[in-house]
Amino acid sequence: MSLLPPALPPSFLPHLLVGMLRDFAMAGMALGLGLLLGLPLALLWAHPGRLRVVPAAIVQLLRAAPTFVVMFFLLNILPHQARLFGAEVTITKQFTVALSLLPYSASIVAENGAEALRQLRLGSTLAALLFLPNLARTYFVLVMASGSAAAIGVREGISVILRQADQFPNFGARLWIFVLGVFVYGLILQSGFFLVLELRRRLAKRVVRRRAAAWSAGGGKSDGG
Amino acid sequence: MLRRVAMRVGRLLIWLMLLAASIAAGHRACAARPPLTPDAALQSILSAARAAAATSCADPADQLVRILCAGTIRVGVRDDYPPFAAAAAGGRSGFEVAVATRIAAALGVSPTFVTVTPADRIALLAENRIDLAIATMGDTTLRDGQARFIRPHYYASHTAIVGPRAIPLRTLRSLAGHTLCVTVGDSSNPELAAAGVRLLLFAAPAQLIDELHAGACSLIAQDDTFFARYFAKPRFSAEYETKFTMDPLPWGMAVARSGGDQLATALSLISEIFHRDGVFLRLAERNGVAPAFLREQRAVWQRPTCDTAQGFANPACVLPPRQSDMARTRFAGTVAAAEAFIAAHLGLHLSLAIFKLQPAWDLVRQGILNSIILIVGTLAATLGFALVIGRALGARRRVLRWPVRLLVMLLQSTPPVLSLVIAASAANAIFAFSAALALGAAILSLGLINGGNAGQAIAEAMATLRAEEAHRPAGRPALSDDVLYVHALRRSLTQIIAFLINATKATPMASFIGAPELLNALTDSTSFSSDRETTYWLLLIFYVVAVLLVVRLCGVMRGVLERRIAAS
Repeated sequence: MSLLPPALPPSFLPHLLVGMLRDFAMAGMALGLGLLLGLPLALLWAHPGRLRVVPAAIVQLLRAAPTFVVMFFLLNILPHQARLFGAEVTITKQFTVALSLLPYSASIVAENGAEALRQLRLGSTLAALLFLPNLARTYFVLVMASGSAAAIGVREGISVILRQADQFPNFGARLWIFVLGVFVYGLILQSGFFLVLELRRRLAKRVVRRRAAAWSAGGGKSDGG
Repeated sequence: MLRRVAMRVGRLLIWLMLLAASIAAGHRACAARPPLTPDAALQSILSAARAAAATSCADPADQLVRILCAGTIRVGVRDDYPPFAAAAAGGRSGFEVAVATRIAAALGVSPTFVTVTPADRIALLAENRIDLAIATMGDTTLRDGQARFIRPHYYASHTAIVGPRAIPLRTLRSLAGHTLCVTVGDSSNPELAAAGVRLLLFAAPAQLIDELHAGACSLIAQDDTFFARYFAKPRFSAEYETKFTMDPLPWGMAVARSGGDQLATALSLISEIFHRDGVFLRLAERNGVAPAFLREQRAVWQRPTCDTAQGFANPACVLPPRQSDMARTRFAGTVAAAEAFIAAHLGLHLSLAIFKLQPAWDLVRQGILNSIILIVGTLAATLGFALVIGRALGARRRVLRWPVRLLVMLLQSTPPVLSLVIAASAANAIFAFSAALALGAAILSLGLINGGNAGQAIAEAMATLRAEEAHRPAGRPALSDDVLYVHALRRSLTQIIAFLINATKATPMASFIGAPELLNALTDSTSFSSDRETTYWLLLIFYVVAVLLVVRLCGVMRGVLERRIAAS
């Protein structure tokens, strides 16, 4: 088994980057759909009263659905073509993957959204604003999860890595490709998490500044945040 | 008088001796004579049939006589499967069309072609709308009860694995851990999955070619006859090749089950002769059909033991039909009744074939068992890794803490699917692929990913406890690391449970590396049942229930733990 790095075709890196862009796009779609479904659930959930049992149960069910199974389920259940408001719509595999990530994204949006609304009601703006970095963190988790799309033949980042690895018969060469993949994905994820932390830090600073300003303007009265 | 009697007795004795001698000579002659050749047997049958046709065309005794009376044989062929059979403005062409034409010539009649499809070819035979079907029809034990197959077979298809010439994989075993694009319901899928091949599913064969060109699939699997038209194109054959073939399916001509004994025998003899004389082989080569099977068959039918009037009935010469008639489960009747009840009362038309066919049910049962093993194993591995990693990350010594921190960072930075593939590839590099190996690699990988995260939560809890410990009331002795660790476990229980649930949800991903859990089993079971909707509904319900059960179990265990801690 050779442990030397294998020679990669020049097209590998561009293909990997294009594939990763697809991961970003699928994660974006999933988050967008998650916001559409999750925010109404969050509004209901944050509402004090008996009605909050309904979104709680829905979120519980959404959380229990494994993304990988949902992806195969949708792939086999959804038609390839569908009519939406009279227009012919093609349901692509990318869209199917985004839909399969919807239970996860919607449950996170609903949970964090409800918590943010509760904090707002309590007057804690800073705690409510944690919704944004949590959303950003969810997005990066979705990017990583969208790698599952390789299992149904979507030409995303992981499938590019696997396809390149398939070209090499020995494990040593394949390992180099995997290490490269881990590095590139890791770089993006760690950068993403760093940005999330930075966003959280800045938000905290801004809220503290605003609170201090309100404190001095109001003669020592805080906004509660 | 006596003399006359004696002479008669003498003559009688001579006659008896002559008779005995001639019988003995005849017997010796018979023993020395070679068995009847297929050519002679065919001529004998055709002569008898022609004689019958000359006298009784009003009510022919056999389909062969009816064909001779009509002067034409009605042959069912496809019109959409080049290079086997295709129809265009210029007429029909292809290997099967050429075979039909040669058979008609051997019978001394002209062919009349009737277009058939895979759906109606057997029905047209049964309805006597065609005399013979030569229509890419695999000879299976199931179809054997519906039509009479002519043996020897005129062709055999295989599942071919096709990919770029640069990829050096040549055996099924070498495919373990590699990705292969297949169509849903392909009969070879269970065998490929069992060999540890990662299957990517597509709906139609044409999609496989598109994905191969586009680069989404490195290797694709489909019937070799499907690839024939593509390999006829120089550009395709310059770039791609057949890596290997598997799962042979003999193709047979077929006649109706009844009323055609003489026709069937004549066609069997013609097939023997065509194999022996290389007629099938030449026709295949002329029409661009892969000739490997026909070369093998020519060698078989040139053997003296096979080249006989009864060779077509000799199991040593003829390929058996593929076993396809599946045993039904004990409760198939109940399932059928349930289907009917649901259809009648709810208007839902379910197809629960996986519960009615024994092989499909065996797959599903094994899949459920493996899924349970996978879930339990992953939960145990997650918990185990969480405890170990948590302890290491919370250690005061950097030499212990930093390598584990790096490992956790790596695990967190790797997409879960990639982690699984790396684990499986490493395992396959050391051991030969097996279902247990795939399950083990999946358990290890999923346990590490989720255990790493849970371990980090434990370590973070430990750090907060240490910070609190630094401000402990004066006079209270410092808690030992062991005590702090137990408190950290308690503090991070919510996180640990969250990652145990995550681990359960991730288990179906193990199917991607060939672990034979339920998702893989149900995907394989689509080879037996075309109904995918019901199958995937069942899959979703199973996993949602499994996750809810784990959530419930974690809740109960948490309650027990908290009560115990409170009591102590």
